[in-house]
Amino acid sequence: MSSSKVLQNSAHGPGTTYLAFSRDGSLAYTGGNDTLVRVWNTKEGADQEPGIAVEAGESITAIAVGEDCWLSGSEDTEVRRYLKDETVMEGLVTSGNGAAIRSLAIDPKGKRVAVSSEELDVKLIDLEDPLKISLLSGHIKCVRRITWHPSGSLLTTSGADGKVIVWDVSEDEPKQEKIIEGVIPAVSDPESPEFAHDCSVIWHTSGQYFYAATRTHEIVTISRSTWAKSSTFSDDSMLGDVTALALSANGLYLASSSQAGIFIWSTQNRRVLYKHPPSPNATVTQLAWSPTQNLLAWTDSEGILTRWPQPIPPSAPDPVKRSGATSVTTVPMQRKAAPSLFDDDAVDDNKGKDGAEPEPEVDLDNDDWILDDIGDGLQDEPEEQRSRKDGLVKEMVSVTKAQPAFQPGSTPWTNKKRYLDYNMIGVIEATDQDTHHIVNVEFHDKTARKGMHFTDHFKYDLASLGERGALFACPSENDHLGHVVYKPYGTWASQGEWTYELPKDVRAIGVSAGGPRATKSQRVMSDGELQGYGNVVVATNQHEITFLTGSGIERISIGLDGDFVTMVAGTEFVFVVTRDGATTIDGSQNLLGTMWEFDEFSVLQKQKLPIPKGSTLKWIGITQEGAPAIYDSKGVLYTMPRFRIPLRASWVRSLDTNTLERREGKDESYWPVGVTADSIMCLILKGRQEYPGFPRPLIQELPLRYPFRRKDPKEGPLEEHIARESMLLNIKRDALGDDLTSDEISRRELALDKELIQLIQHACKNDKLPRALELTGMLHHIPSFDMAIKVAGFYHLVGLREKMEALKEDRMSDDRLEGAREKRKR
Amino acid sequence: MALPISLRSSVTPPELELIASEQLIEIIPLISMDKTAFISGAYGPLRPPAKCKLPIWMATNLKLKKKCHIVPPDWLSVDFLQDRLTRETSQLEFCAMPFRFAEIAKIVLDVASDDLENPDKIRSLLKDLREARQAKSREGITKLDHSELSLPNLCSMEINEIRPFFIRSMGVLTQLTRHPAPADGA
Repeated sequence: MSSSKVLQNSAHGPGTTYLAFSRDGSLAYTGGNDTLVRVWNTKEGADQEPGIAVEAGESITAIAVGEDCWLSGSEDTEVRRYLKDETVMEGLVTSGNGAAIRSLAIDPKGKRVAVSSEELDVKLIDLEDPLKISLLSGHIKCVRRITWHPSGSLLTTSGADGKVIVWDVSEDEPKQEKIIEGVIPAVSDPESPEFAHDCSVIWHTSGQYFYAATRTHEIVTISRSTWAKSSTFSDDSMLGDVTALALSANGLYLASSSQAGIFIWSTQNRRVLYKHPPSPNATVTQLAWSPTQNLLAWTDSEGILTRWPQPIPPSAPDPVKRSGATSVTTVPMQRKAAPSLFDDDAVDDNKGKDGAEPEPEVDLDNDDWILDDIGDGLQDEPEEQRSRKDGLVKEMVSVTKAQPAFQPGSTPWTNKKRYLDYNMIGVIEATDQDTHHIVNVEFHDKTARKGMHFTDHFKYDLASLGERGALFACPSENDHLGHVVYKPYGTWASQGEWTYELPKDVRAIGVSAGGPRATKSQRVMSDGELQGYGNVVVATNQHEITFLTGSGIERISIGLDGDFVTMVAGTEFVFVVTRDGATTIDGSQNLLGTMWEFDEFSVLQKQKLPIPKGSTLKWIGITQEGAPAIYDSKGVLYTMPRFRIPLRASWVRSLDTNTLERREGKDESYWPVGVTADSIMCLILKGRQEYPGFPRPLIQELPLRYPFRRKDPKEGPLEEHIARESMLLNIKRDALGDDLTSDEISRRELALDKELIQLIQHACKNDKLPRALELTGMLHHIPSFDMAIKVAGFYHLVGLREKMEALKEDRMSDDRLEGAREKRKR
Repeated sequence: MALPISLRSSVTPPELELIASEQLIEIIPLISMDKTAFISGAYGPLRPPAKCKLPIWMATNLKLKKKCHIVPPDWLSVDFLQDRLTRETSQLEFCAMPFRFAEIAKIVLDVASDDLENPDKIRSLLKDLREARQAKSREGITKLDHSELSLPNLCSMEINEIRPFFIRSMGVLTQLTRHPAPADGA
């Protein structure tokens, strides 16, 4: 609450008055109804005699300031150019064709000026060469205000038709990038007082979003990437229309004016920090922050210029000095190499910048630049970084950005909604209602489990939808410690539900719920209860994972020797991915996958993940058959079919989405949800979309296909199918235990044999005898051998026939199935 | 029978819908069901969230009980119908449409309009399509002669509309040609 003295000057007579600061902050220009532009010295007090520019014939309607000149636009349809700091007119920039000038805006580099008048087109004029004019057509009424994106490549025009059009002017031909409707009010009568309100789009200095005053008396933030409203500034004491907006030089403060006075908001937490009482009968028509001083000035409809020195007290961050967090991004979003969330020497990296202090909290709405670090972090040139770190000796020389811990199946906040878990069982969605979240759990199979939703005051940020129950975890906040909550299905009442509290410094960084699959409908939880509530695994920041039973009994805490990345729990085991040491310099994430069985906590598998250098892990899951699966950022799916053989299994490349036929000519990516025997269930994301949005997209099925290379149209697919089916049968056979075989396996083997016979026939026809013999060796059932022998006979290949018969004899003598069982017992 | 005479010889539209309901349509089940045998065949198993092909009669049944979501067939989208409509209005012949598109479209719009994107637009496009085709079939009737009437790409509903008139008028024409009118002179 600053009440420092404001300096007031009666600048012009009553009428809409406009204001602009010179780029070095030393002068302020005001223009008003009396056709004059007065030039004020910002350092002098209220009793100064301002310079005057008298050339305009009618009231001034716009002032814009460039690097070496300033411009004034007037109702007399002319835009006049003046030398910087002088009041001598240099020349005319353009004339409005008989239409009053409405707005002027010079781009941040001072090269071009956008002029709008009562005509519908906006003219973009090069200041060096005023004959170079581009026209921007698109509005159906005149354009009231124009503003530039801090990078100088986008132009935003606010029209009297209520539309905000974003133009891409980086090329010679300006293009409309987006039309945003319904934000600013549509006011077309130039005489009405609302017309004078400043409806311009105020870009934040980072260029990622802009603020605008809406027709519903609020200020909204609209993100540049989605062009959708991402947050609102609202305060109970704000009354009436927002008549003007201005952003401080470093983007930390937003000043707004309304009937209730001038409010200064913090852009990070959207709270009102300081207020200034309103002047009665006068509406503020333009607000401006000085680019170099802690000074806020405004002009109002009475023609009075008010300057408020030191609106921000010295205890608060300065509105002018730039801090590292805010920086400009150009239209093709290039990542800046600077402060990462993982390097401790971020402060040293800022040597090149204006000696900033550690940056204030990054805006929570603006999640994208945190996450971009995962994929693009590897584009950092290692050499550049290494040279910057020359002065420091640190343990980790690795430069690849380590991907942070994540929950598979979760998405970040977009528009206050996110998925906490999206898998084959169902979906957990969370909606942010500022003070609390609303969590909605829905199942795909509605007969087996009943969905539910609840209000969440703890703001859970991790969740897992398991076979037997849903698991939620939250970090500790001021009024409660971090804890983990497990809600088993069947009885959503508090009976089976339990909370596991974590002590003060312990935080859950990953959760997963697993357990045996439900055999009967769990709506009537009678038999199911005997099977238990499953298993719960929690990974904490103490480098360990804790196992609990489904009813909350702690069982064991297993130490992890690396950083936790992610985990998923299945019916019999939990699959945990950690980072073995650190990432390597050449781009490998160095991830290790370990599987622990629930019953005995023995390590079932411990294998490095085959994620290629330069890509990251995007998702892990468990297939319907129980095998672990991983999906990397290059679009390849790996599964581990022989996971039941302790410590002997390896990762099999099951699908390369880049080779899918449907991928041709389309820019799409896939977000996996689950893997079945023959296909991967995923959501199809168009274009650059990284995460699924709302409303919930439908799950699509993509067939699995081993990335084999044989191009033969008949043989290739058959061979691939045989290979894949054999692998699937291996999984099934591994699970057999003491049984020799099962009906399903026999059936599948028979189908596979038929395909093998087809291939044998093909090989015989093409005279590839050794291949035919090899294929015969792959047959499963004895009758199939007879078929193969018949095929060889048909092609009159006597030698082959004899060899096949010999193979048959061998096969009949040692029983294949018994042999397999022996192997399993080993 | 209780049906009026004019309708007794032909099929009624609800009957046509029933016949069309035998066709398979893809659904996303919300319940799980094992492979079950019905008179027309064995369908299933239903394992959410995987899709499954079922006859339309079964799909509507499940949908009305809120046990599935219907995936609209490819041709029931704004783009496809828009494209066909422009072709219909520009060419003289009928454009190729799935044979029972009117019935299937009606069923899907009635039962599962929430599974469609932009159902109102689809409705209006279908209406325009029907009107364009009706105009063409009216013209086509004028070409009726005693032995054949060829209207390629005509669909089930439209054939049904023309059928009674067409049969009788062809009968009359056949009689006329068999007994040519006595030459004027008398």
